[in-house]
Amino acid sequence: MANCLLNHWLSVLVLVMWLGLNVFLFVNAFLSYEKGDKYYYTREILGSALAWARASARCLNFNSMLILFPMCRNLLSFLRGTCSFCRRTLRKQLDHNLTFHKLVAYMICLHTAIHIVAHLFNFERYDRSRQSTDGSLASVLSSLSHQEKEGDSWLNPMQTTNMTVIYMTLTSIPGFTGVIITIVLVLMVTSSMEFIRRSYFEVFWYTHHIFIIYFIGLGIHGIGGIVRGQTEESIKENHPYRCAEFFEKWDDHDFHCKSPQFEGNSAESWKWILAPGVLYFFERILRLYRSQQQVMITKVVMHPSKVLELQMIKRGFSMEVGQYIFVNCPSISYLEWHPFTLTSAPEEDFFSIHVRAAGDWTENLIKAFEQQNSPIPKIEVDGPFGTASEDVFQYEVAMLIGAGIGVTPFASILKSIWYKFQHADHNLKTQTIYFYWICRETGAFAWFNDLLASLEQEMEESGKVGFLNFRLFLTGWDNNIAGHAALNFDKATDILTGLKHKTFFGRPMWDKEFSTIATIHPKSVVGVFLCGPQALEKCLRKCCHQYSSLDPRKTQFYFNKENF
Amino acid sequence: MGQIEWAMWANEQALASGLILITGGIVATAGQFTQWYFGAYSIVAGVFVCLLEYPRGKRRKGSTMERCGQKYMTKVVKLFGPLSRNYYVRAFLHLGLSVPAGFLLATILGTACLAIASGIYLLVSGVCGQPADAMTPQSLQPPAG
Repeated sequence: MANCLLNHWLSVLVLVMWLGLNVFLFVNAFLSYEKGDKYYYTREILGSALAWARASARCLNFNSMLILFPMCRNLLSFLRGTCSFCRRTLRKQLDHNLTFHKLVAYMICLHTAIHIVAHLFNFERYDRSRQSTDGSLASVLSSLSHQEKEGDSWLNPMQTTNMTVIYMTLTSIPGFTGVIITIVLVLMVTSSMEFIRRSYFEVFWYTHHIFIIYFIGLGIHGIGGIVRGQTEESIKENHPYRCAEFFEKWDDHDFHCKSPQFEGNSAESWKWILAPGVLYFFERILRLYRSQQQVMITKVVMHPSKVLELQMIKRGFSMEVGQYIFVNCPSISYLEWHPFTLTSAPEEDFFSIHVRAAGDWTENLIKAFEQQNSPIPKIEVDGPFGTASEDVFQYEVAMLIGAGIGVTPFASILKSIWYKFQHADHNLKTQTIYFYWICRETGAFAWFNDLLASLEQEMEESGKVGFLNFRLFLTGWDNNIAGHAALNFDKATDILTGLKHKTFFGRPMWDKEFSTIATIHPKSVVGVFLCGPQALEKCLRKCCHQYSSLDPRKTQFYFNKENF
Repeated sequence: MGQIEWAMWANEQALASGLILITGGIVATAGQFTQWYFGAYSIVAGVFVCLLEYPRGKRRKGSTMERCGQKYMTKVVKLFGPLSRNYYVRAFLHLGLSVPAGFLLATILGTACLAIASGIYLLVSGVCGQPADAMTPQSLQPPAG
């Protein structure tokens, strides 16, 4: 628990601040509508539902304001670059932008539910008090109408007895926009479910852009002044505490209490969402501008198992390890942008990606490049965008774990480390690297295998064998493979990969690995980097906490995860 | 677009609509709103839709993640026979179920969402040319392993 807090204190702080602000805004708005004199008469008709609706509305405004910020990739990259003094913890926090975005989205859904339920009660109560003829204060207030000579004295938006709540909703701006933006919210949420996102990315990507409708609708939602409170002047003439019980006498000319006058609250949502909206708009313009810069493809390599490698150059492009870019191919689809991790090192004079066939778009891309006779399709690139891998050089000891396709960012890291090591780069604090590659079978990653083989060879030639340690784990083994391996146990190179480091079968035993590393490096700070599935993440986080000693001078494991 | 199984999204949308119908129905019934009996209907319709949509159908390509506890629901759903298998039937069923809830403000959101889910199911079977009988009994079985 103590270790958990140490590793994540900034995340916890941000979360606590965010929740705290939500609670504060909610309670503040709630009390102002529940206790304020201005809304005394409104409460006569609506009760507490008014305060619930307004408090949740305030939180909705707040969260709608926040939700766009984590999506401004370029702003975040900029922040990441400028905060070099607090690199480790702040940069890790910026990785959690997607998590924060989702949390804020859940909060928006919660408050939407509260807001709608409260307004359902509000509309029902307005309807009832309009219909009622019992002469109560509520019904008197409801009968104050638009036609009064003294200006705006109406309180109840349902002016006639035969107006239904549905009609009221669908013909008023707040009601209509409310229904529309809620439907939009539901559609966005259902198409962002993890299952849909992972399996049918396009459904998620396109549907999510209806957030524009959400924001426009939210901006105009408050127009109409349906939420009404007493005007200041009217409170002087008719203070609720003095006059409410004598409501039958309001019409008497000599009575000291006159009929109350009401005014509608003006729309305030736009004040919250204007700035982030503009910021996000600039973010998109910037992305568009960056993507229009010409990309030249210098080399196209078709690897076995349908993996396409594209080596490209672009003016002004500079990257760091483990970053990713968004790629668009107009001849396949104008609007789709797909993320790919960069597999080249910053020291190389080109940047590259390896594309595996994993869906409609990637298959079409590979097909387009396979055709010998037609010209090479044009590619647009946006990025690069940063992730935790940039920190990898700051740790004395690094544990890099790549599962399946997650091994891709490590191609960049390993190449870069090797370049830096060869040139005795001062920025490189890393002394030892443990690289774990876990996959079913190496088929689609034969290219990565070649990279490891060449690194292994170069290390031997330089006499620095202990620097990079590989552990390869094949989880898709069967008796044949195991038998074969057993037979060839004594050979110097592994029969499957051809590497000097032997392949292991089955999953790694993390407890053993962590305790071994903790023993070999008793005073080091070990960075653990994972690119892989969530189940593995949980396991590794646990091990990091377990094997980090409470004494800050002894072995500390810090966990970092890639995410898209 | 050809590889996208829209039915998967329709399934998520319908499940969400079911929950919205139930919530709206509870609010209307508990608050004893005018014409609250539509709310009571909405609760029943919502529960039915949720039960029907909870088991996630098998994907045509790739592995399917089951929803938690899906196997018990699958047995119940299979009893409904062609109702649960055919996308056209589902589309019209959802459309039909959503109409009565449209008369009450508390449940009108459920109507809209369910109608959209119905539209996506229709899109699947009609426009995209995916076979209407896509959900065979085997597809409602939880995937092996």
